[in-house]
Amino acid sequence: MRNRHSFVFYPLVAYAIVVIAPFLWIAGTAFKRQIDILQGKIIFTPVLSNFRQLFDSREATFLNDLYNSSVIAVSSTALVLVIATAAAFTLQRLSMPKWFINVIFLWVLIFYMLPPITFIGAWFIMADYIGLFNTRFAVILGHTTINLPLGLWLMATFINEIPKELLEAARVDGCNNRQIFSKVIVPLVKPGLISTGVIVFIFSWNDFLVALTLTTKATQTVPVSIATFAQEYEIRYGAMAAGSFISTIPALVLLLIGQKYIVKGLLAGAVK
Amino acid sequence: MSEIILKKIRKSFGKVEVLKEIDLEIRDTEMIVLVGPSGCGKSTLLRIIAGLEEATAGEVIINNTNVADKNPKDRNIAMVFQTYALYPHMTVYQNISFALKMSKVPVSTVDEKVRAAAEMLGLSNLMDRYPRQLSGGQRQRVAMGRALVRDPVAFLFDEPLSNLDAKLRVQMRSEIRLLHQKLKATSIFVTHDQVEAMTMADRIVVMNNGIIEQIGKPLEIYNKPKNSFVAGFIGSPTMNLLPGHMIDRRFKLENGNHIDLDKVNPDWNNKQGIFGIRPEDLVIVSDQEASETETLEVKVKVVEHTGLETLIYGDFGRTEMCLLTKSNEKIKSGDIIRVKVNPDKVHFFED
Repeated sequence: MRNRHSFVFYPLVAYAIVVIAPFLWIAGTAFKRQIDILQGKIIFTPVLSNFRQLFDSREATFLNDLYNSSVIAVSSTALVLVIATAAAFTLQRLSMPKWFINVIFLWVLIFYMLPPITFIGAWFIMADYIGLFNTRFAVILGHTTINLPLGLWLMATFINEIPKELLEAARVDGCNNRQIFSKVIVPLVKPGLISTGVIVFIFSWNDFLVALTLTTKATQTVPVSIATFAQEYEIRYGAMAAGSFISTIPALVLLLIGQKYIVKGLLAGAVK
Repeated sequence: MSEIILKKIRKSFGKVEVLKEIDLEIRDTEMIVLVGPSGCGKSTLLRIIAGLEEATAGEVIINNTNVADKNPKDRNIAMVFQTYALYPHMTVYQNISFALKMSKVPVSTVDEKVRAAAEMLGLSNLMDRYPRQLSGGQRQRVAMGRALVRDPVAFLFDEPLSNLDAKLRVQMRSEIRLLHQKLKATSIFVTHDQVEAMTMADRIVVMNNGIIEQIGKPLEIYNKPKNSFVAGFIGSPTMNLLPGHMIDRRFKLENGNHIDLDKVNPDWNNKQGIFGIRPEDLVIVSDQEASETETLEVKVKVVEHTGLETLIYGDFGRTEMCLLTKSNEKIKSGDIIRVKVNPDKVHFFED
């Protein structure tokens, strides 16, 4: 087996090392004292001081940051899923004119390719102007906007896989469009919702740029918070590592739960 | 009481006209079969009746009401799809009861009706299964059950048997027929299989290129096809259709051969057209008989035995002909046989 696939196996091992090694290094760093980190010690006595610094110290905001991140990621994911699924259903299955569908998808694609940094400045001014600056809601809106194209593309692919006859059968059975959506489409597209949800959640959870621009200390998310450990006179490597280590946990758990759906989600449309 | 009348139905997809002025009356309790080659518009017509497709022009009148602008859900029509279209996330029970639930029938009535329908179709012990756990035939039955529970004004069947294997298809054919006799519900059945049409229909509607070629009882259509298309489409093996010219009692084929008949309908005299003989109306005669009557000489090419009958393909001059006789082992490829045309059974089409 290994022989036959060695041309796949060894590159994969190499890739796994490239991915895992820095993570293990960060995880290790999270348990080192600052002095051990600076000395580059490989053998060390693990301590929890970094974590204590995150959660227990007087100026600690990390719990609050985790809360912000969770609220923002969950809300924006939910928004993306609701809007994307309804929009994909409308575009793919309610006999919209072809040109309209194409224009929407092309626009979505273009928007997806634009780097967020090109409009983040404008968002800052807009949020400030309407009083949304430094609110979680602003970040939720931002993440929803950024992730919606991806969500729409993915959900459109999943909905496209549902045979048209099923919807016609439902129509003959007495459903209106709303009932078709809730009783046939949503239950059938559940794997798609899970995979899209996990992907969007992780994107939102990892986002730095939008959160950095639209929040201050009270509403900042974990990635922003971690960045603040690098200050002018001191870089708190230990705290940074501990924060990063903790912040990977939700994503890791979600990935493990939704693994089989995610692979399906990323591959959907590849062979069809 | 449910009667469906189609008035001047037209349908175009872009520039392509798939239905050209269809007029059809479907009587109460009747089983109508729409039959025709693929692309003839039969499925489109069915979908227009169901409300899944909107007619470009014309009226669909169900029980004296024009429903052309109504949604499928307001037409109270049940449909069995070619692919069955079972809801994969619902059990057999949920699939069958779905339509009743949508129309807010009380739960106890739903249960009663679903059990009755399942009983009728032999699905009672499969109620908790999901479609993916069923065989093709069972899925087909669930699709039927979904239609049966509803007490609709009409049942529409869109080639429901074409995904079954041959044996099951024959079985389901007679089961649907039996169900229809029991329920006496107006039914419209679409198929491209003329055997299905012949065996199931009260009346057959033969369609081609978006028009109705002929409407009639199965045997009426078989014995008196209106034109060469119907003649060639209905009947297996296919009717021999030979283009040519009728002069007195002699039919001159386009390729130079001719067929002499003992007697001929005087209306056909001196007309250009297509001469049609069903394979079973060509009778092999002995040499002795041949001297007393007009016969054709056919050189046998292929002999097919089906057990009960023998099918013979041969050349009559340069024209290929097919004839059907009772099982006959004597005839071999390469033989020359003499064939008599039954003059009462010949057809002549002027199209």
